[in-house]
Amino acid sequence: MTPESAGMNKLFDQAELECLRALLDAIIPADDFPSAWEAGVGDYLQRQLAGDLAKALPDYRAWLAQLTAEARAQYGRGFAQLRLSERTGLLRRIEADEVQTQWAIAPGGFFREIVEACAEGYYSDPGNGGNRDGIAWRMVGFEVTA
Amino acid sequence: MSEYDAIVVGAGAGGGVAAAVLTAAGKSVLLLERGRALSFAAVGRDHLRNQRMPVYGHNAGPDIDGNPRTIDASSLPRLVGEALGDKRLLKPHQPGYQNNAACVGSGTRVYAGQAWRFMPQDFRMASEYGVPAGSSLADWPLSYEDLAPYYEKVEWEIGICGDHRGMTHLPAYKKPYPMPALPLPYKSTVHKSGLQRLGWQALRVPRLINSQPYNGRQACINCQHCVGFACPADAKNGSHNTTVPRALSSGNCTLLTEVMVEKLAVSAGGAVTGVTFIDAEQKRRTIRADVIVLSCGAVETARLLLNSATAQEPAGIGNGGDQVGRNLQGHYYPSAVGLFPETMFDGMGPGCSIATCQFNHGNDGIIGGGFLGDEDIVTPITLWKRFYPPDAPRWGSAAKRFMRENYRRINDVTGPVQEIPSPDARVSINPQVRDRYGIPVAHLSGATHPETVRTARFMHQRAREWLRASGAIQVWGMPPPRYLSGGQHQAGTCRMGEDPTTSVVDPFCRVHSQERLFIADGSPHVTNGGFNPVETIMALAWRTAETIVKTW
Ligand SMILES: Cc1cc2nc3c(=O)[nH]c(=O)nc-3n(C[C@H](O)[C@H](O)[C@H](O)COP(=O)(O)OP(=O)(O)OC[C@H]3O[C@@H](n4cnc5c(N)ncnc54)[C@H](O)[C@@H]3O)c2cc1C
Repeated sequence: MTPESAGMNKLFDQAELECLRALLDAIIPADDFPSAWEAGVGDYLQRQLAGDLAKALPDYRAWLAQLTAEARAQYGRGFAQLRLSERTGLLRRIEADEVQTQWAIAPGGFFREIVEACAEGYYSDPGNGGNRDGIAWRMVGFEVTA
Repeated sequence: MSEYDAIVVGAGAGGGVAAAVLTAAGKSVLLLERGRALSFAAVGRDHLRNQRMPVYGHNAGPDIDGNPRTIDASSLPRLVGEALGDKRLLKPHQPGYQNNAACVGSGTRVYAGQAWRFMPQDFRMASEYGVPAGSSLADWPLSYEDLAPYYEKVEWEIGICGDHRGMTHLPAYKKPYPMPALPLPYKSTVHKSGLQRLGWQALRVPRLINSQPYNGRQACINCQHCVGFACPADAKNGSHNTTVPRALSSGNCTLLTEVMVEKLAVSAGGAVTGVTFIDAEQKRRTIRADVIVLSCGAVETARLLLNSATAQEPAGIGNGGDQVGRNLQGHYYPSAVGLFPETMFDGMGPGCSIATCQFNHGNDGIIGGGFLGDEDIVTPITLWKRFYPPDAPRWGSAAKRFMRENYRRINDVTGPVQEIPSPDARVSINPQVRDRYGIPVAHLSGATHPETVRTARFMHQRAREWLRASGAIQVWGMPPPRYLSGGQHQAGTCRMGEDPTTSVVDPFCRVHSQERLFIADGSPHVTNGGFNPVETIMALAWRTAETIVKTW
């Protein structure tokens, strides 16, 4: 864990953190450019959930708990223990609200909110905590000359 | 006893010009601004909190807390804000609030600086098209010829670059722009070919940007953060680096920032004699002057008048005809977006360089129209949020690959549609909700006239045609639905006219019911053209201030 993401412990316990990382890294997986987590999206989200998105923190925690329960129901393992292809398949079904457990919070609807927050962290300015060293901008070809 | 010759409320586009012209004529001016003077660093480069992409906040004011407005839920394209009975309570960065900015310079601190003259037809819309049912469409009490000399002053005094020979939709210019147009980025050359293929006019977008050193400041360095941000080279010409410093350097101007004007002060007879404002320490002060100029922007000027009820004018100063706050208008933007087979992005800012006025007027069965232009550089997160194809993947490796392969290949074309005014599109006062100073806030209601939506649909199709002609292999986008528009291009709430029963100010922008009260901002615009409004706001403010001096 990076020193910055250590602060997440205040918002999430270790199991939640692992689940969140597995989730964000399925939304923006690593290729020859870093994954969401590697680029700092975890730090972005931490700041947001302690600030602008503070009201959404309980929903994030509830949704992650459901995600874990859903993974156990479908695969017999926690979400963080699934391979990327399994996580992707499960999230695709969750996105379409095809779930086997009882969700107290809209499975697909809230997933789309997390996707949006993940993209914000990855593609916005590094000052927001994600897009470490402007890596996402290098990837897409947005150069800042002045 | 008057302490100043004049008080100007608001240090934005119109207020800056008023202060500069009045002080140049030797008048002493008190310039009052509710926002702060913002340094380059204070404006910053936050891609989620700027005036262009205000997701969680913005960078040019007003402060997010303590400055609410309310709006009828039916005026919003989608439900935002907090429920408050049948109304919604909005923060300044939320859609529907109709924000421009609040700081020294206001929107001009962070704007794109597109600098357009309106067309002769824009000043006589009712005569050109007739008045559609339910609309308050009217002619201006002045013509293009009346304003042309002031357009020219703004072009030279504030500093506009462009190529007057390409402005074939306008009467011939008397003088060229003082600076040549900015160089064309690669994508603009592609869009120019598209226009030529269609046989549509192609012109260089005039901008309030130094293409060469001008007025003691350097030239544009083609950075990627123009619209929504402050200029790193100080080459963008706004009120903060032209008219306001000019007024201050005259020695005749006192600028107070972080002061909120609450209401106009009046004599026993009801004549306006000054203003009452509240400063940062929450202290209330009344200062008197011979002339008062309101330049608060279309929403706040209306709010200030309506909050200034007197015994003689119980519905608010200037509101005897129940006109103050009506006809709020901005611009519809019916953008279309295209995916191109080649890399369009070459990193050269600001970006919006090529436009056509082919469809501002003369469209069969359509009222008005607007120009269409290419776009300033779009940040990656703005592309993701605003210009992403609806059928492209949003997550997983495919989404990441899509952004990587196509960020540089996606371009939109867009432009402001001339709105057909509706008297119901309105600013009023909500006495139940107060701002941080305890002043009743603006309430917004109504929506634009349905003809605006129809014109926007027509323009959206033209935007799609242009993209196709420029070589786009996929085109998407939706014309906007009907809602209340105003925002950064807000205008119209104190319309100009001869008749006090149908207008708020006279043809020289003096409030009908008052001898010494003038308005110099977007509020007097009878209609708002199919163009970004700031050059017209500045030109009109110039004419108003000059009239004040001449008739002192
Ligand atoms: C991101 C962005 C891009 C833009 N791009 C363009 C463009 O390319 N071309 C173009 O033509 N226009 C553009 N605009 C719009 C342009 O900035 C506005 O049209 C213009 O600033 C409006 O001028 P105004 O004088 O009506 O009001 P403003 O410039 O908004 O000035 C009003 C001022 O009054 C102050 N004020 C209000 N109420 C009070 C009070 N009670 N007491 C004290 N002070 C008060 C406000 O804080 C503000 O500073 C853009 C705006 C933004 C934000």
